[in-house]
Amino acid sequence: MLTRFNSILIFKIIRFCVRYLICGAFVFFSCEEADYTLDNPNDPENMDLEPPALFFHPQEIQTNLDSSFSVQLYGLKLNPAAAAHLDIRYDWGSVEIDSIVADTFFQSDNDPVQIVIDEEGTLDIFIYLLPDTESDQNGGGTWSLATIYMHPVSTGESELLYGENTRLRDANNDSVVVKSFGSGYINVE
Amino acid sequence: MVRGIIIIHLVSLCLGAEIAQSVSIKTGDQLAVLEFEGWAVSEPLTEFLTEEFRQTVGDLKIFQVQDRGITNQIKIFKPREKDYWSCWSKECAIDLGRQLGVNYVIAGNIQKKGDDTFLINGRLFSVDMETMLDEFAMGTSGITDSLLLEMKKMAYNVSGLPIPDTLSVGSGISQVATTDDIKRKRQWIKLPPIPSKIKALLMSTAIPGSGQIWVERKYPGYGFMGTEATLGMAAFIAYYQYDKAWGGFQDTYKSYQNDTDPHNLLELRPQIIQYAADTRKFNSFMKNIRSVGLSIWAVNMVHAYLVAPSDDFFDGEYFFDLEYKPDVNQVQFNINF
Repeated sequence: MLTRFNSILIFKIIRFCVRYLICGAFVFFSCEEADYTLDNPNDPENMDLEPPALFFHPQEIQTNLDSSFSVQLYGLKLNPAAAAHLDIRYDWGSVEIDSIVADTFFQSDNDPVQIVIDEEGTLDIFIYLLPDTESDQNGGGTWSLATIYMHPVSTGESELLYGENTRLRDANNDSVVVKSFGSGYINVE
Repeated sequence: MVRGIIIIHLVSLCLGAEIAQSVSIKTGDQLAVLEFEGWAVSEPLTEFLTEEFRQTVGDLKIFQVQDRGITNQIKIFKPREKDYWSCWSKECAIDLGRQLGVNYVIAGNIQKKGDDTFLINGRLFSVDMETMLDEFAMGTSGITDSLLLEMKKMAYNVSGLPIPDTLSVGSGISQVATTDDIKRKRQWIKLPPIPSKIKALLMSTAIPGSGQIWVERKYPGYGFMGTEATLGMAAFIAYYQYDKAWGGFQDTYKSYQNDTDPHNLLELRPQIIQYAADTRKFNSFMKNIRSVGLSIWAVNMVHAYLVAPSDDFFDGEYFFDLEYKPDVNQVQFNINF
């Protein structure tokens, strides 16, 4: 009688184990699916720009009167270029320009030549790539053209814009197409 | 046979103290009972009767009977061209005895002579003396109970002890009485015997194909085992690829979430998409392997259950049994759960 009870008990245990082994296998044998959202605000793909394009990075700047800040003039999927005239419009009553530094886009073995003219809210930046032994223009792509360092002079909101004179040229002095331009926003508290 | 054993012991006692140790080793009481060969008798029945015989001889404490598992190791590790259970000659038995490291070997067979008539033959071999010490033959009519009784009688014969009257009566009551007389002190926990079909099912559940191999259906067994191993290897490779893609995905996605440089973000974006596609691809592959593997596993379990021999000699205590009812003069099939 005891033996029979044990046999039945063992059979029930086996049946339980087999059932949950099979059910469990469906869970354990598959792995996690990759779930992602590409929503980084600094990703140019999320900026509603049509490449090739120029935009400000970062697009939004939150700062206060006591601190300085910088903004990059960024090119998105630009074609090869040798020079640029960047016409930047800003609220000269709100911020002041400290300095401008040419960035990676026009860097070759030689440092680029840059000329800056700042006149009451209109900043003209001329950058020229200095050819080296290998090339007389860059390879294009998504890079920063220049970095503008500035500081606020009053509180309030202001805008950064690319002016109509903005243009890029290649080594043959032909225009480099720029289809769209981004804008920047500065909030000084 | 008893005389033979007594002579061996007397000879060992008569020898000097210095050689006594070596003599006692040579004339020890280690006994291996080879599985009886069944002639027109099912393998599970011969296994069962052999084990009962082995236990009875062990309980009589004349010999130290080697455990069934150790005895069976020879079959596993040193297979012969012909199955060794049919080892009936002196040379064969002694050779096996040496391999098993015992002093005595018992080999035997159970023959079905008529509808209900059985003949049990047994031989006792001395490995040390390289000779056959004794030979036994017992006839019986009737199936399980009677055969079991005869095996117990033979155990007494082999051990050189007189057969008790309770065994000579040959009734069901005498069998119970005999079982009660034998005190199996070392068996503290005795698990219920598992029928061969369930055992094969369990084995194949744990390791696909092992149940089939156990019941000597080797080709299907190796087939199931090989197929599952191949699928397992494919799943392992897929998992390795998945793991690699998943690691890449996690790294790049984390970088994407934390980085602020548009140039880097633009480069990370296609990498994330590619890694995610790879993880989905390998995950899907693993799911397919899982489905196929589980299906084959289930078929393997059912197959193992079907090909395993039926233990129709079990008597009432297990899942099913065949029982003769003299009052209605019929053999009845009973299921116990």
